[in-house]
Amino acid sequence: MYPEPKFLPAGDLAVSVELGDEISREVNARVLALEYLIQQKALPGVLETVPTFRSLLVYYDPSSVGYEALVAALRALVPQARPDVLPPARTVEIPCCYGGELGFELEAAAAKVDLAPEEAMRLHSGADYYVFFVGFTPGLPYMTGMPERLTIPRLETPRTRTPAGSVGIGGSQCSIYPVESPGGFWVLGRTPLRLYDPTAADPILLRAGDHVRFRRIDRQEFDAIAEAVARGTYQVKIEEGRR
Amino acid sequence: MNGFVVVQCGALTTVQDLGRPGYLRYGIPPSGPLDRASFLLANRLVGNADSAAALECTLMGPWLEMRGESVIAVTGADVPVTVNGREVPRWTSLPVSPGDVVKLGVARRGLRAYVAFRGGIDVPLALGSRATYLRGTLGGFQGRQFRDGDQMDLLPPAEGIEPVRARRVRPEMIPSWQDEVEVRVVLGPQAERFTRAGIDAFLGEPYEMTTDSDRMGARLQGPAITHSRGHDLVSDGIPLGGIQVVGDGQPIILLVDRQSTGGYTKLATVCSFDIGKVGQTKPRQRLRFKSLTVPEAHTLLRQEFKRLQEALL
Repeated sequence: MYPEPKFLPAGDLAVSVELGDEISREVNARVLALEYLIQQKALPGVLETVPTFRSLLVYYDPSSVGYEALVAALRALVPQARPDVLPPARTVEIPCCYGGELGFELEAAAAKVDLAPEEAMRLHSGADYYVFFVGFTPGLPYMTGMPERLTIPRLETPRTRTPAGSVGIGGSQCSIYPVESPGGFWVLGRTPLRLYDPTAADPILLRAGDHVRFRRIDRQEFDAIAEAVARGTYQVKIEEGRR
Repeated sequence: MNGFVVVQCGALTTVQDLGRPGYLRYGIPPSGPLDRASFLLANRLVGNADSAAALECTLMGPWLEMRGESVIAVTGADVPVTVNGREVPRWTSLPVSPGDVVKLGVARRGLRAYVAFRGGIDVPLALGSRATYLRGTLGGFQGRQFRDGDQMDLLPPAEGIEPVRARRVRPEMIPSWQDEVEVRVVLGPQAERFTRAGIDAFLGEPYEMTTDSDRMGARLQGPAITHSRGHDLVSDGIPLGGIQVVGDGQPIILLVDRQSTGGYTKLATVCSFDIGKVGQTKPRQRLRFKSLTVPEAHTLLRQEFKRLQEALL
């Protein structure tokens, strides 16, 4: 974490507030706290904010607030941006069907890290994941919390198509593909939930600061949940109020 | 009956409005027109609010058959426009009648034309906006580009808006798209991650637009821009106009359908009032970059706002 925040101009409509240079829960919590304070105080001229690992991109309207005034207001907020100002976090349960045709790289990934597939599943589904931020494409969570034992090099040749809902691991990270896309992660399983659903009123499932737990399901339950999701009747299990 | 039928969809025609703010933090870009000035002048010519939904038409087409009385206007790229085979002027309001066939040809200069209709196009709001986000199949007409045979409805003109009268854009306000354009940038957010020679090359030499460019980003080709400490970065937010320089030293300007975050260093950011120039530059045409301070950019932004306020006759 930097002793003083850096304010980096990002054109005529945005400024990047950088709090550090590392990927850590501590710095990220301060970024989320800064964003939360900006929302709470409805900081004049701020149009939208994009939190990432260690910085907050602040979009503003220069006809409402000047650059210097905005930077001064943000600078004054940074010391107050402590993790304890944040509201309690949510824990979102992601049902996941491991192995088989949906988790088509479970066995290869387990072999690569010298584990039995069952043990890899147990480790992966037993962990508590934390969402640093959502970005790059709609609904894609950048998560930490994967057991170190599952650290694995990314695929040497990225796949051109990874099905939506795929749960993958690469490096020390775990991610979930919201839409079909190329990918360099090993696919351990698939969730029937939609992390991005353009037809829904609230199209994005996960948010920055959420905790994620995977729940093991079999193929039969996967199909049943997928059907309920398609009908719009599935209730995602979300536990509120976690400190 | 109102609206129109898409007889031929053209190369890439989408419904846009001024965009979908507020969702970048979920990874959803704002979308909206690439050439915002041309877009809102088209709306003003037909008496609409700036935010009404209109068409962005890329390179060629579409052909439209009107189903009702309306007033339309075509702005943006220099594209031949005919109504029932007769060439009509752009940058002016045009009354049209049921059965009229409006055809846009191939863009001679510039790349993106805008067609506004009195009342605006009636597609459902998605997250508060009618703008099409193609990669996310969100907004616009079924989240996609036009196909032959699509039918569009128009909204009734808003209550209280002035009755339409013949309007046109001041001749001196009509852009003439050049083979080489000057694009103003603010250096940063990561200019210190580049060598002096790299920044000098970027500001001193022209860069060519490549065919591998779209509403998400414009890939340019020119002298390599050298990094001082590698091209990787802890991923952070990408502003509109952010210029990423990837490993080979070539710049990519991120545009309205951009990824919200990324892990490449960003040398500079194109000023909002010059994004339209980037969007109107065809492959093999050139861009030259000029660096401004933030206060200089804000002064020009105010001037541009005023210029647009006074653009119509």
